[in-house]
Amino acid sequence: MRTIDDFTRPLEYLTPLDRYLGEIGRRWADTEVIPVRRDFDEDWEHHNLIEPCFRSLQGEIGFQRMLFPEDLGGWGLGHSGYMGAGAARLFEEVARADSGMAVAFGVLFWPLVMICVEPHVNRRLCEQFAPMFMQERPVFAANAMTEPQGGADIENMEIVGGSTIQTTAVLEGDEWVINGHKLWPTNSGGVADLFGVVCTTNPGSKDPNDLAFIFVPADTPGCTQGGPYEKAGMAADKNSDIWFDNVRVPSWYRACGPGLDAMYFKEVISLGNLGSISFVSGSLMNVFEILKDFAEETTFRGKPLKENDDAAGVLADFARDVDIIRVLTYQYARMLDRPDLYGDRWSDEIVAKGRAYKYFACDKAVEDLKRVMNLMGAHGSDRAHDVEKHWRDLKIVQLWMGGKQLCQMEVARWFYECETL
Amino acid sequence: MSYQELFPIPVEWLEDADRSMAETVSAWGEQEVKARRLEHKEDYDALLLPAMKKLFLDIGLQTLLLPEERGGGGMNSPEAATTATAVLENVGAADTGIGFVFANSLALQYALAIAEKRSDEALGSAAGVFTGDDVSLVSLVLPGYGTDTGDKPRYYGLDFPATARKADGGWVVTGGPARPQCCGASAAAFAVVCDLGEGVPGVLLVPGDAKGVQRGPAFKKTGLAASANADVTFDGVEVPSSALVLEGMTALRGMLSWYYMACAAVCAGSLQSVHEILQEWGDTRVIKGKGQIFKENPLVASLMGEIGGKMGTSRLLTYNLARMLSKPDVYGNAGGGNLHVTAISAFKQVGRLAMEAMDNTMELMASAGYATEWNLERYWRDVKTVETYVVPETVAETCMARQYFNLKQL
Repeated sequence: MRTIDDFTRPLEYLTPLDRYLGEIGRRWADTEVIPVRRDFDEDWEHHNLIEPCFRSLQGEIGFQRMLFPEDLGGWGLGHSGYMGAGAARLFEEVARADSGMAVAFGVLFWPLVMICVEPHVNRRLCEQFAPMFMQERPVFAANAMTEPQGGADIENMEIVGGSTIQTTAVLEGDEWVINGHKLWPTNSGGVADLFGVVCTTNPGSKDPNDLAFIFVPADTPGCTQGGPYEKAGMAADKNSDIWFDNVRVPSWYRACGPGLDAMYFKEVISLGNLGSISFVSGSLMNVFEILKDFAEETTFRGKPLKENDDAAGVLADFARDVDIIRVLTYQYARMLDRPDLYGDRWSDEIVAKGRAYKYFACDKAVEDLKRVMNLMGAHGSDRAHDVEKHWRDLKIVQLWMGGKQLCQMEVARWFYECETL
Repeated sequence: MSYQELFPIPVEWLEDADRSMAETVSAWGEQEVKARRLEHKEDYDALLLPAMKKLFLDIGLQTLLLPEERGGGGMNSPEAATTATAVLENVGAADTGIGFVFANSLALQYALAIAEKRSDEALGSAAGVFTGDDVSLVSLVLPGYGTDTGDKPRYYGLDFPATARKADGGWVVTGGPARPQCCGASAAAFAVVCDLGEGVPGVLLVPGDAKGVQRGPAFKKTGLAASANADVTFDGVEVPSSALVLEGMTALRGMLSWYYMACAAVCAGSLQSVHEILQEWGDTRVIKGKGQIFKENPLVASLMGEIGGKMGTSRLLTYNLARMLSKPDVYGNAGGGNLHVTAISAFKQVGRLAMEAMDNTMELMASAGYATEWNLERYWRDVKTVETYVVPETVAETCMARQYFNLKQL
């Protein structure tokens, strides 16, 4: 019998941990999340159902530790040489259960990339923050990037170079004093224990030296989070406003330093794109499972739906795209894992190709899920089948990190060497 | 500039009375739905049901197509198709779900009061469902996918939700569990497409409180909060002979043609509100750190152009269908093969264009389009739900191919 494991992956790209990550993630999804996920939408504000699922994944199994060095209690994934492939495998399994959980889980590592990943490990900050993550309760981090006035401008590094950032960091003695207002970070709304804040040390400047990535523990005086936004889906991913009002942190909480923060921030974008593609791949694999059952159990013209040529055409298109997107997921993971072959993770080429793969996967997924829902008729939009959940959830994957238009611009800039876009 | 000026349809197709009614419904939408949405969100009891009461009872949509002598609005002629479209467009602009609920009622009102082979007996029997003092929700129960194989009478490959057999001067309806189009948990009556024997279709009006009607629990769905839906089973439900609203394929297709028109109007109307939302977003956002107004960026503008084109095309298609249905002397019976397939095609196109326009709008608004605060996502969920409910894609495509290319076997 065909299963989701029959979708193709380049086997030579996988991590030695692939089997274990997959089995643990699959078991967690099947036992902890899928039986209860249908009620997640109503749990968006309080996470009474969702929080225990995070607790088992991150705290009890311990995945929240995995990026930190081994001697600090972590699993050393940050210097393993297969961070990309490992993350892809795990994110796929989590997204198969719930892509909102996958993004919340994935984003906990996002700011940590700046300090835990070779070649730019910041040992002092790792030592400072590792204990926070070595516990059995779920601990989250978040990247505070987007601002009210400019939306995706923050992620648009190539053209605006940080000049629109209005969150300021001023060095006073041995402390940064941060002031500003951020919107929409995943794991805000009271969830995160630690923020990575994108700031400017010189408002209006395009100089990469003036972009600063500074860590702020969420309980620092002056750091305030609003209540979570209500959204079309992705209930497990809380987003809110965050205000930084004369927030003071030690000067060494800056991730990498002048020039390097801006450079390695692009690596954050690359990994965000890998995460996004992985979420799409995992969600689509779950839709395949649901659709396969539906097409076998439902009859049309007196025979199983899947045995009708016209329905089979839709089913085939869907399986084709899942297969292609899964290959793409691991291809991009490989590119991030082997900078010696493909270039630095923060290079313009790797960022642009990640954008291209991400928006290709998202566009395909959204269109495919619409067709699948139409094929299923009234059952496509009922929550008993969960297909509509994946459709709602994946839509925001297409929208985040600057949305489709920013993806298009970065791809055009790199492939066509555009100079003014 | 008004929506009509932006996205024109031939003005001569609407009478002053139609425009007046559309304006009344538009005002209802602003006051009773949009103005109260931030406070009540999608709450059925606090927002949607009170709004439906005003619309159905005070404004009178619940009896719009019924003859005056039966306590109705007196619009019981085919010309009401354009009126209904103008009304439904404005209902859809306020709330797609309420529009969809009304579309169900409208299709049944058409079958009772306007259809060529309507039954006075059925109208007399059914009028009471519509003319009470309370909101009376009715739902179509249409053929759908089945769970068993083998040969038996089917409707274009879909299973009938029930069979109806004559007994003691009336009918006995048996079938289900079936999925109504809307309001399965709350409908006062179901218009059930039944196999009357040897695959001859008919629609029987089954009161929701009739003995043998069993409703399942209300289930959760993507959108359409105005419709509390539940699967329903008909366990040997006895109804009088006057419950037979229509009989035969042509009559059924006629009712469905009006239903597709109504649903297309709801989808096209939803785009009115999407236009408002995107206009505000495009006017007020700046990008690229240069103070560039969002809508003035060429890439954004190109997508906005596409979105606008889809809005205009949806509206044109919907009103053209309404015009054709309003003129049976020119275009033929609503249940004739040509017009019925045109109705299916128009609905599918409008639904698809509406979804594309909303998807693209959400892409331009990014996360804001996804947040409930901006209201776009509500229309996006609702229209998608309508698109999946009304007719399965496979069936629509088969019907169109059969007609357009003279298929013999499918």
